[in-house]
Amino acid sequence: MKFWENLKMALSSIWSNKMRSLLTMLGIIIGISAVITITTLGNTLSSTFSNTFQNLGASNLMEVIVAPDNPDEEPDVEDWITMDMIKGFLDKYPGEFYFGQDVQGGEGNLINSQKQTVNVSLTGGAEGTFDYYSVKMLSGRKISFRDSLEDRHTCVVSDVFVKQYFKDNEEPIGQEISLTVNESLPVEFTIVGVYKYNEMLQGMGTGNTKEEDIKTPMYIPYTIASELSGTSDYDEYFYYCVFTFDNSLTPSEAQSKMESYFNEQYEQIKGCGVRVVTNEQVMKVMSSAISILTVIISVIAALSLLVGGVGVMNIMLVSVTERTREIGIRKALGAKKSTIKSQFVTEAIIICLIGGIIGIIVGLLNGEIVAVIANSVIQSDPTYADLLGNVSITPSIGGIVISLIFSTLTGIFFGLYPAGKAAKMDPIDALRYE
Amino acid sequence: MSKRVIEMSNIIKRYYIGQPNELQILNGMNITVHEGEFVAIVGASGSGKSTLMNIIGALDRPTEGTYHLNGTDVSRLNDKQLSQIRNKEIGFVFQTFNLISKSNALKNVELPMLYAGKSRKERRQRALELLKLVEMSDRASHKPNELSGGQKQRVAIARAMANDPSIILADEPTGALDSKTGHLVMDIFHKLHKEEGKTIVLITHSPELAAETDRIITISDGNIVSDTGYKDPDSTETEVNA
Repeated sequence: MKFWENLKMALSSIWSNKMRSLLTMLGIIIGISAVITITTLGNTLSSTFSNTFQNLGASNLMEVIVAPDNPDEEPDVEDWITMDMIKGFLDKYPGEFYFGQDVQGGEGNLINSQKQTVNVSLTGGAEGTFDYYSVKMLSGRKISFRDSLEDRHTCVVSDVFVKQYFKDNEEPIGQEISLTVNESLPVEFTIVGVYKYNEMLQGMGTGNTKEEDIKTPMYIPYTIASELSGTSDYDEYFYYCVFTFDNSLTPSEAQSKMESYFNEQYEQIKGCGVRVVTNEQVMKVMSSAISILTVIISVIAALSLLVGGVGVMNIMLVSVTERTREIGIRKALGAKKSTIKSQFVTEAIIICLIGGIIGIIVGLLNGEIVAVIANSVIQSDPTYADLLGNVSITPSIGGIVISLIFSTLTGIFFGLYPAGKAAKMDPIDALRYE
Repeated sequence: MSKRVIEMSNIIKRYYIGQPNELQILNGMNITVHEGEFVAIVGASGSGKSTLMNIIGALDRPTEGTYHLNGTDVSRLNDKQLSQIRNKEIGFVFQTFNLISKSNALKNVELPMLYAGKSRKERRQRALELLKLVEMSDRASHKPNELSGGQKQRVAIARAMANDPSIILADEPTGALDSKTGHLVMDIFHKLHKEEGKTIVLITHSPELAAETDRIITISDGNIVSDTGYKDPDSTETEVNA
């Protein structure tokens, strides 16, 4: 008998017992919707995660770390990365790598024209530091590594600082400011750039301080910051150093360039080498952790399919018994065992498949609901909104396909026994059944 | 001389074989039915009537003996082959109609053709013709519970005719009907017999109904006790179980 006839027969049988069919499907619906909800959320989480990473510019981050051959030993300070090595590296690949290390230069304050004190915290760094902290420039230029090398007293201040200090819309770039640093000497700085302050990225955890009282970071050259903080000697050496690389390089290119340069530098140093770590790697590890977690929870959710399957089998057995006479009639009219069997298996598969499809729809709706809630939370706080943007639900296609396959398999597996029972019935007994 | 449709020789049926309560229902029956005959098999309850019907209808196999249906030895076939025999060679009409309750009259008549693998179009056309033959055309889309007993039986007869079987096997077809509708149903059998030349085997316990047929085989305790014999339309001789 043709497949379509079987299908029609199954559908009409399911339709004639709507309520019972729906209740039978419920187990499958719950199982599949749980799997879809979890895979959708897992997928969304990891894509939001990698988007945020991208927003932060963090994927172009790379770190070189001093690694002694014996991992239990502390490397000597003399074996650490030197400023000369870094300079040599940046000179070798101009425009490809940026120094991204930062150092705290302490606190600074100055008095504006209204005799109000404006506080800043000093962060020493170079071009890469701006990427590292996801600093968005509004005007001017970033602090450069050259500023460090040439000991230029340059600074980049926040838009908040500009409002606090220059009340009357003065052009800040080019202005010289005199800053009392760490409650001692006044130090002169020339403003070379202004960045947009983001509470979440650069904030000091000041909470809901009034705008005029916020202390914002002020970026100054690395070497100057380390001098001001009084750790100058120590900061000539780096246990690890952060770099960012240009978008023209792939992470693996950047990694190999960095590895070859620093390995060369460390050839003469005995008992010590370097290790290069990319953020890409860190991100991959975290993404795969999310994936593994998603799979594990999905498998647990899929166990509920088993319960659903047993429900389907139970109802199919009842249905076979109820329809004993019908089976007898069909056999008397010439239905083969295989015909009866495929009729009941088809019915079980259709029940599971419809349940599966409803489950997928419910699961996707669940995902949407979570997205709406997450978005309303995120949008209520502009600092998060800026960083995360809109969370968009990314359903897992694999999850959907696997769910459909699984519900079909559930139908076959739990439909075979009742169908076999129906097929084996003796037509004479079945016809006599009341 | 006409073709022999049913040829049973020495049919024995036993139940509980090898057990202390072994039971022999049919004691070596010989029955021959020719094409175009209208035969009544009459017997009281427990006479072995139903067992015989099951064997004739290929629902069951005899323990011993051979049964040729239209030349095929049915007693040696497997389940699948028996299904095909039931489908193509036999048209069942039951006392309790046995229509599929959730399918309408048309679908019920189509069902044996569905199992025979006929195309949708062919099925539909033949089913409509058959419903017309039993004067049920106007009820084609009605479900069994919307039909009277007589109407149900007429649909069942149409269904029995679906694959143009060698024999129509009717088991107490009027048993669940009042005498008036019973007669109407019997009229259809007569019509099929006379106009279509169908071979009909009617199983009944009613001598009255049997009297309407050409030949009466009476069985009792698993034996044939009388047979009015086959009247060959081409000769004047009467043949008894030859």
